[in-house]
Amino acid sequence: MRFPSWCLLILFLVPARSAWAQVDLTGEWSPRKYNDHRDIGDYTGIPLNEEGRLRARSWAPNQADIPENVCRLHPPDLGYRVGPSDLSIEKELDRYTRQVIAYHIHSYWSEETIWMDGRPHPPEHALHTRGGFSTGRWEGNTLIYTSTHLKEAYLTRAGVPRSAKATVTKRITRYGNYLTMVIIVEDPAYLTEPYMREETWVNAPEQVVSPFACEPVAEGTILPAGTVPSYLPGQNDALWDFAIEFGIPPDATQGGAETTDPEYIEKMKKMKTLPRTTRTHYLRQG
Amino acid sequence: MLSRVFLSALLLGIGADLEAQAQGAALRTGQAAALNDLTGYWVSVVTEDWRLRMIVPDPHDYQTLPLTAAATKVADAWNPAADQAAGNQCRSYGAAAIMRVPGRLHIYWQDDNTLRIDTDSGTQTRLFHFGGAAPRSIAPEWQGYSVASWLGQKPISTAGAGRPPSQGTRIGGQAAVERREDVAPGQGQLKAVTTRMRPGYLRKNGVPYSGDATLEEYFDRFRGPNGDTWLVVTIIVTDPQYLVEPYITNVHFKKIPDGSGWDPTPCRVDQPR
Repeated sequence: MRFPSWCLLILFLVPARSAWAQVDLTGEWSPRKYNDHRDIGDYTGIPLNEEGRLRARSWAPNQADIPENVCRLHPPDLGYRVGPSDLSIEKELDRYTRQVIAYHIHSYWSEETIWMDGRPHPPEHALHTRGGFSTGRWEGNTLIYTSTHLKEAYLTRAGVPRSAKATVTKRITRYGNYLTMVIIVEDPAYLTEPYMREETWVNAPEQVVSPFACEPVAEGTILPAGTVPSYLPGQNDALWDFAIEFGIPPDATQGGAETTDPEYIEKMKKMKTLPRTTRTHYLRQG
Repeated sequence: MLSRVFLSALLLGIGADLEAQAQGAALRTGQAAALNDLTGYWVSVVTEDWRLRMIVPDPHDYQTLPLTAAATKVADAWNPAADQAAGNQCRSYGAAAIMRVPGRLHIYWQDDNTLRIDTDSGTQTRLFHFGGAAPRSIAPEWQGYSVASWLGQKPISTAGAGRPPSQGTRIGGQAAVERREDVAPGQGQLKAVTTRMRPGYLRKNGVPYSGDATLEEYFDRFRGPNGDTWLVVTIIVTDPQYLVEPYITNVHFKKIPDGSGWDPTPCRVDQPR
């Protein structure tokens, strides 16, 4: 029995089409870092409350040099937004039913597992981790998942805090060779409103995500033993550099839900700015 | 011989099925085929790129942009007064930039096949045309010509794994025929491809896009965990003249009940909106 050659051609083409129709999120995804970059004192657009603002102002960059922080992973809600944030997405199948049990998302900074099998979230006081505990569902062609049990971490690499009480909801939608993720952080401790951001990746089949290579340091190696760098209220001498550098009213740089509204542009015209004595200062992206 | 007949019938079945779906979609108007309701009033919530959107960026601030040398040269020569004098004050309100300008949107169906977006910032109008390609002879405009379509079909029977349990019954172990159906109302996305744009600015400080640029956008409306309704737009600008690779950003808008707060402005070269 021989098939005509045209049959073989069509058989070859049909599976290629099916691969797209399945809205397969798995594979390698390369980030495009065109959204947002943050400096010290730049809390713009973040709906911080007073407690969050106070914590952010006390942050010092060399907190990253404390031994327990040197190899600390970012949580996914930050790690996906700071370089390198190449993604590798895999699915885990049940051996017998072939249903998806979970998706695993790996990036340089973070790991997370999204359980798709209907299991509940653990009790409130169960273990909190960097990746948290996530459960997902499909809504049309969008994967939606909710993460709880997250360890305290940061919303930006410049010290804006996110508490362990936060819930993070993510939506992943594939548009052909693009993957858009919407990240919504709800944090009753430090935010007055949900904080929403997005990121888009490009399909990159040849990409290899690096493992997180980090060597712990001994106490006292970088900083004197027992030191915890921080600023007391009113003593952060770098706090207003961002406002000065870009000519933004200092109050506008401190975040708050009101600052995200287009009408705030008019309000800023009546606010005081500081003399632009510098155009550069310490910069940390994210 | 029997296998040959069976295979031919199978393949013809696939073709007929897909053709029927395509014809069905083509017969429906853009409004009738809508897989999500984008209409209503929306307001920007500026949580990202705040300093690039809520104030006018300094000259020469091109951070994060994948520019060609030619683009940098043009941007370095930015002269807002000259734009004003030449009647080009809307350059930073063109289709490739307008969704990033803080402001409000009013989205509604102008007719069965045209979804309209009015912006209060710059008082611009975008028209998303369903059911056809861009006309070949059309004069470039700030908002260009946008061809729109709905995204949102899911497989209802495919072999193998990868689908969540909630999306239909798996055909156990068989090499199944692919069939697709629309997602539930409210779960689809809008795709728009815009061409024929007048050369404009990607960033308020004179970073250019050319008349050869193509704008690809995806609009996703959904309800957030706290009940707010959101519109997220993924914006992809491709420009062989001024970008070394596609420039991809995202913005989001929150649904508001009505047009209160609507604040139409003229195009302005020295204001963020």
